Amino acid sequence: MANSIVALRAYRDGLHLIIKPHLSITEIEKAIQEEISRMNRPLNGASIQIDLKAPALQEEDMAYLRSKLKDTYNLTVREFMVVSEEPTPPPIAAAPTTHIITPAVNPPNSRESEPSRIIPYTIRSGQTEDFPQGSLIIYGDVNSGAEVRAGGDIVVLGALRGNAHAGMNGRLSSVIIAMNLVPMQLQISNYLNRIAIGEKSRGYPEIARIGKEDVIIVERFVKF
Amino acid sequence: MGRVIVVTSGKGGVGKTTSTANLGTALALLGKTVVIVDADVGLRNLDIVMGLESRIVYTSMDVIDKHCELSKALVRDRRVDGLTLLAASQKNNKDDIQPAQMKAICDKLRSTHDFVLVDSPAGIERGFSNASAGADEAIVVTTPDVSAIRDADRIIGLIQHARIEPINLVINRFSPELVGNGSMMDQADVMDILNIDLLGIVPEDTGVITSTNRGIPLVYEETSAAAHAYMRIARRLTGQQIPIPDLEQKGLFTSILNWFTRKS
Ligand SMILES: Nc1ncnc2c1ncn2[C@@H]1O[C@H](COP(=O)(O)OP(=O)(O)OP(=O)(O)O)[C@@H](O)[C@H]1O
Ligand SMILES: [Mg+2]
Repeated sequence: MANSIVALRAYRDGLHLIIKPHLSITEIEKAIQEEISRMNRPLNGASIQIDLKAPALQEEDMAYLRSKLKDTYNLTVREFMVVSEEPTPPPIAAAPTTHIITPAVNPPNSRESEPSRIIPYTIRSGQTEDFPQGSLIIYGDVNSGAEVRAGGDIVVLGALRGNAHAGMNGRLSSVIIAMNLVPMQLQISNYLNRIAIGEKSRGYPEIARIGKEDVIIVERFVKF
Repeated sequence: MGRVIVVTSGKGGVGKTTSTANLGTALALLGKTVVIVDADVGLRNLDIVMGLESRIVYTSMDVIDKHCELSKALVRDRRVDGLTLLAASQKNNKDDIQPAQMKAICDKLRSTHDFVLVDSPAGIERGFSNASAGADEAIVVTTPDVSAIRDADRIIGLIQHARIEPINLVINRFSPELVGNGSMMDQADVMDILNIDLLGIVPEDTGVITSTNRGIPLVYEETSAAAHAYMRIARRLTGQQIPIPDLEQKGLFTSILNWFTRKS
């Protein structure tokens, strides 16, 4: 976790702000400000859940945080939850629960030993391609309403407009690369991107991966 | 042997029936023998758009039920040589017909006509499998909006799965003005997503509504923009090389013109 006091994470059910226990409200406030300024894309308008490691905050502190987040970052707090330890993300519908491996027991990067499958056509709305054994390379587009899932990486030699889930068995180092990355939804391992990546092509290939900040980041793809 | 072409879409109301009526008529005007088949069982309206409603005696259901011969169920359009209509039953629903029965009808019609155009109902269910059962080719109609395109993409996937080829695209209700001011997708955006061959672009045209109400396909009056577009599409279907005019350019031109007139 990049920030030891608070961490922003994207889960299947949305963004979570995780706050460590026994902190003063000023410390929390400062850490939130740091954490949010670290993001490379604005979170404007998002709704978040605040996960508090026990004990809970005072009633007035919660109210303060709620209005502070709204006024300063335009973030709406869905709810405050008191959690005993690191919250386990809710099961992902896309992959069976048994496939979800928490970061602690993440398998070593096995990109080299993995098989890959080539899909020599465009995947259209309503169609899906699953390849849990390894990586998927698509010689075409993945249109909106289509879905691709792979155990390893997903490389789209065209436009990715639909949904893509890389690292479906838990491999956190999995990446998603597209010539034109304009997806509906991206998921890597159990991290879900909730921040709109934008629907206009930026005219260069991009790569999505899990960054140091524990959220999916998207940047220009230059080389592996 | 004639060609059986299914005219289909994912989303409803995008102009399949309008396109079938106008392309059928246009092909007949070009000297081809054409039968247009309404496959929208239960929601038939190709007969209305063609102005042949009052002359329907038998439908494809009667042919399937052996109440009459196929040739007797074909209604001849008296305005142009070589054009007939096979109506759909309004009393029945889509499950009353099997894909194999539709295929048998299309195969028969193919032997006596140059073109068999099948007007499909919208959607991906039974209606589509019936309409496409006998087809060798498909025309997918879409309007240039996100939801129609998403559904067109879905139906293209299904047509490819059914191994129907070629699949051609008609973009209907295209408005150069709306593209010009950025509120409608342009031709390139649509083609980029759907990635099939473009057969033609039909502009938004109020004449379509009046022609529908009067039961006279637009192509009889060459004056309207949509009529021109349908005539050109029909020519392309017969194999003539007719370039697709850049409607967008015209849009830009019109918007510049508008800008000047507003200024003065
Ligand atoms: N180019 C056009 N310009 C203006 N209006 C149009 C155009 N094309 C179609 N329309 C109008 O859109 C409506 C729907 O057209 P049509 O019935 O041909 O669609 P459809 O795809 O057959 O619909 P359904 O899915 O219900 O069978 C009609 O009212 C028609 O007049
Ligand atoms: Mg119709």
